[in-house]
Amino acid sequence: MAFASRRLGKELTKMHDKLPPGIALVKADDFKEWLMDIRVIDTNPLYDNETYRLKFSFTGSYPIEAPEVTFQLSTAADTPRPIPWHPHIYSNGIICLDLLDRQGWSPVHNVESICVSLQSMLTSNTKKERPPGDENFVKYNTQRPRDINFVFHDNQV
Amino acid sequence: MKVTISKWNGVAAWRWDMPDDDVCGICRNPYDSTCSKCKFPGDECPLLLGECNHSFHMHCIFSWLRQESSGEKCPMCRQPFKSKSQETAGTTTQPAAQEAAAVTVTPA
Repeated sequence: MAFASRRLGKELTKMHDKLPPGIALVKADDFKEWLMDIRVIDTNPLYDNETYRLKFSFTGSYPIEAPEVTFQLSTAADTPRPIPWHPHIYSNGIICLDLLDRQGWSPVHNVESICVSLQSMLTSNTKKERPPGDENFVKYNTQRPRDINFVFHDNQV
Repeated sequence: MKVTISKWNGVAAWRWDMPDDDVCGICRNPYDSTCSKCKFPGDECPLLLGECNHSFHMHCIFSWLRQESSGEKCPMCRQPFKSKSQETAGTTTQPAAQEAAAVTVTPA
């Protein structure tokens, strides 16, 4: 775990100091699971006035191994956190993004850069859609995101 | 006044011959520091410079390249990672001016 915790400790210090606009640290009590909030800064009618919560799960091999990153739903009245609409985001919060995939991950990424990537993935989206087969996927998927073989058939989004 | 140096202690500082204040992209520790697993910087925890001119602590880049998913590519530019030469980055050793001034002076 030393590998991951030393790197995460550095990221945490830096994030306490400064974070890009629209990105906030919610919870980082240990080096296993962190919560982050993101907002879309540029005007986009799909995401205006909403905040989304991301859950990061790290293994002891982070950053050699990618973290598991999903959107987390919260229906609390004071902090509502919906799952954003996007053709690559399932309604259970699982994200299909190449940089989070085994093949697309690079150890130079970090929590902040992932948040920025997801922010821009939302910013550029215009489709109020879920991935094809969302209903069945959400109902029957029991695999962890890292083990799912997403098919990146659509590079337009 | 005549000064006779009766004793002096030479002090030198070393650092990897790399751009200033840069950190290894994998562990985020400074190049002059160690990877996250080593205790002592220097020859025990050297740097590896790629043909793409991206460098990392040798231990860090090796942990990455060992992963099947790395495809043996540089984490920065995704070109196949090849070590630029057999040797790792050279060190520059220069006496640190201020520290070297630690001489004991006795007036004659």
